[in-house]
Amino acid sequence: MIVTAGEYVCLESDKANTLFIVKSGMIVAETQDQSSGERYINFGPGSIIDELSLLEGAPRQYTLRAAEASELIVISKETLNDTLEQKPSWITSILQFLSKRFHIAEENKRKNGLIQSLPPFLYIISSNLKKSNTNKLEVKALLKELQALAGTSVENATKLLEILQELGILKVQDNVINASSLQIVTILYETIKYRALNKKVSPNILSMTDQMILSTFLKVARESSSPRPGGICTVTTKQLCDEAKKSMHGFTLTTRTMSSLIERKLLFPSATYDIHMPIEEIQFFYADFDKVMDLIELNRVFPLLDKKLI
Amino acid sequence: MVTGDSRQQIIPPTRIHVKAGFVVYSPETGERSIIILDEGELTAIDTTGGDRKVVFKMHPGDLVGVASLLEREPFHLTIEASKDSVVTLINEDCMESELKTLPVWLLAVIRTLSRKTRKLKASLYAPATSNSLMSLAAYCGNLPEYTDVLMDDVIREFGWLTKVKEKDIQEDIKALARRRFIELKKEGAKVSLMVPNPFLLELFVDYQRSIEQTGSWEPFKLSIMQKKLLVTLSTTNNDMEMDGPSWLSFLAERVKEINVTDWIRIQKMGWCTETTPGMFRVNSDKINYYLTALRFETNIRGVL
Repeated sequence: MIVTAGEYVCLESDKANTLFIVKSGMIVAETQDQSSGERYINFGPGSIIDELSLLEGAPRQYTLRAAEASELIVISKETLNDTLEQKPSWITSILQFLSKRFHIAEENKRKNGLIQSLPPFLYIISSNLKKSNTNKLEVKALLKELQALAGTSVENATKLLEILQELGILKVQDNVINASSLQIVTILYETIKYRALNKKVSPNILSMTDQMILSTFLKVARESSSPRPGGICTVTTKQLCDEAKKSMHGFTLTTRTMSSLIERKLLFPSATYDIHMPIEEIQFFYADFDKVMDLIELNRVFPLLDKKLI
Repeated sequence: MVTGDSRQQIIPPTRIHVKAGFVVYSPETGERSIIILDEGELTAIDTTGGDRKVVFKMHPGDLVGVASLLEREPFHLTIEASKDSVVTLINEDCMESELKTLPVWLLAVIRTLSRKTRKLKASLYAPATSNSLMSLAAYCGNLPEYTDVLMDDVIREFGWLTKVKEKDIQEDIKALARRRFIELKKEGAKVSLMVPNPFLLELFVDYQRSIEQTGSWEPFKLSIMQKKLLVTLSTTNNDMEMDGPSWLSFLAERVKEINVTDWIRIQKMGWCTETTPGMFRVNSDKINYYLTALRFETNIRGVL
């Protein structure tokens, strides 16, 4: 196949089942898919293009144009079949295996790219929210900073925005990101960072019992008249125990069940704390309402996030 | 058709009949071969750590060991017959002799697929960015201003975020410190890092990005006359709102050489922006951006 300078050979996404070998000249490939980080690729003599079109009839990977007068050898599906017919069947099996392995590697890279984009994504949002002390950030600014920090593609950043929107942590409106709270993105980032760097579960991840107790505490606090949000709220032990019985299916609160939350300084008892003392001797519990609410939200979102990413 | 050397002698594969329990391949032997199951059933077992864990079962037509033979990837599983089976073994010599008879283009397809897969696998462990200095500047630009942060913590966190190697991070920290974008302090064995002005790091990131993409950066391309205009606009009250011709005559009084092209350029650079239709004001953020870039040109270029 002879092509003159500037002539198009094929268009990206076209249906095809042939392979090109550049015999002479130079072919420029252009792709809209920038996940590889390359938009233009030059193919000189000896290069082969679109091997997957030949093997599995995959659509054209690139738009090909001759940069100079060039000669291409076109290998058709019929030529491939004729060749393989004369060879032992395991050659066909090897080809199938290699193309399958290539697709698995491609898929792994795609998934990995998204997973690895999450920490830089959260880092940029978290630090920008902290700096501006608002819960707003422009999408354009996020994309620009992410590209500089971790080379994150627009595709991955957009996907992460979608995931965090689905989880209710962020909302994008008029190209501005609104965080559901000032702290939630930071807590999420710190939790992921702790897990990655220390190879263990972050103290922010609570047991089911602790989550239920804190949720009960929040419920009572919301209904009481103690100051919130942004402040310390107080709940009497009686109110807390009564509500726990109702919402936790007859669960009886004891000082022991409360101890993990007290030790983690999430709930504070009114009296000096001792694990053996009856809970009734503690008159009330208090806590930072926003902190507890963010933690509950984190524990709701954290397992879902892993699932969504994978 | 372009073909390989078909006169080459072909070494045939080995076909063996094995009883259930026969070990077809053991990693200890180190003999690489592709194992194709023709009849029966094979089991791949992981014996590392002393336990026998069944990883997968092979059925007629399945094969293993291609990556091991073609790319010398280690294959750590033991392949054992779980039923009486017929197996074809293709060793290195057999495969090579057969591959030599393939047309050159088909060999090239096999090599290309292998190379692309290797590249994809390697990219999983490669740093997220090719410009680690720009990346570190973007990271440091987001650290809290005038706050000491332990250098070890920075290396750990930044390394985790970007997969840049520790040695490279240390070099990049030195490069930023040399430019005076960050300050390093040593107290005993601990070294800490402090960002005095995150805005400079923001400018540096923009400079690096622009140099990478276009080979130059707008603030460093200004002519003497444009610099005069920039200084003039920096001293102009940004509440002042005028139409284009008024701005042109206002600036011409101060910088004589100015013409309409320069006024269009001023708008393109964002020094004056249209606030209401046809009316313009000085954009002090943009003016500050260009002025700071010029003031810290030697730092940004790294020619201190």
